[in-house]
Amino acid sequence: MIKVSINGEIKELNENLNIKEMIEALEYKQKGFAVAVNTTFISIKSYESTTINDGDTIDILAPVQGG
Amino acid sequence: MNNDTWEIGGKTLSSRLLIGSALYPSPANMEEAIKESEAQIVTVALRRQSAGEGGGNNFWNIIKALNIHVLPNTAGCHSAKEAITTAQMAREVFDTNWIKLEVIGDQYNLQPDPFETVKAAEILIKDGFEVFPYTTDDLVVAKRLADVGCKIIMPWGSMIGSGKGLMNPDNLLAIRKQFPELKLIVDAGIGKPSHATQAMELGYDGILLNSAIALAQDPVKMANAFKYAVEAGRLGCESGVMQERAFASPSTPTIGTPFWHQFK
Repeated sequence: MIKVSINGEIKELNENLNIKEMIEALEYKQKGFAVAVNTTFISIKSYESTTINDGDTIDILAPVQGG
Repeated sequence: MNNDTWEIGGKTLSSRLLIGSALYPSPANMEEAIKESEAQIVTVALRRQSAGEGGGNNFWNIIKALNIHVLPNTAGCHSAKEAITTAQMAREVFDTNWIKLEVIGDQYNLQPDPFETVKAAEILIKDGFEVFPYTTDDLVVAKRLADVGCKIIMPWGSMIGSGKGLMNPDNLLAIRKQFPELKLIVDAGIGKPSHATQAMELGYDGILLNSAIALAQDPVKMANAFKYAVEAGRLGCESGVMQERAFASPSTPTIGTPFWHQFK
């Protein structure tokens, strides 16, 4: 298992997951979010080629009201 | 109604009012106020969301159904790096290359950081974004933003959410005079419809506001007020405002004035 920060919360994940597998493991069912790993944007087309590593900081953002 | 149209970010619009989507009493009130304003650009944001939370999707579904242009912001970012990442994420989620670039330099008055804003704008423009940079009313910062390729500049009227109106109309006018070819939008600090009219009378192309409508006692009615205020200011600007005079000048003809000097 590895420890990562997801939206500011420390979570344990299996080793060698890619972004697509991580999203499935976290049970994100809705669409319409974007992912950054260690403050770098990861596009949808790169989900399967991006592996999550121990200590990574992951942000998953969705639309909200804004000014 | 006004038949005025203008172009910004490759789109032709009839409304010069850009409206925010935050701070309304309810989502239904937000939807009604945006419709009433007849704004064709609405600002939105991105925030962290946990699995299973549906709030973001509900909000986004309301906005999508309005069928108007979406301008995502980078609110809350404090560095060019954060803003660039947020912009890239927004482009994917909202399917637009428009970005309202906000890089905050001071947490107390939410004043934009000019150095990081210019740095981020340059990188984002090279990456294909249409950048709507939020900046102060500093002429030199506006010049630097234009130098890196910004076609739109959004100086503040005053601090975000303050409702103080235009702190430095002379500075705003200087930017307008210096950059006749750029699209200029007053963003932030507008509190009353008259503030929006004043900015439009200065020759600004549009007004971006949120709190002034959302925090009004009746946001829907205030949205209507701002629609007319922006139109009035634009028409006033186009009509050519009279020259101020340092002395009084009667508007009613003086020839034929009755009782004139009769009993002297």
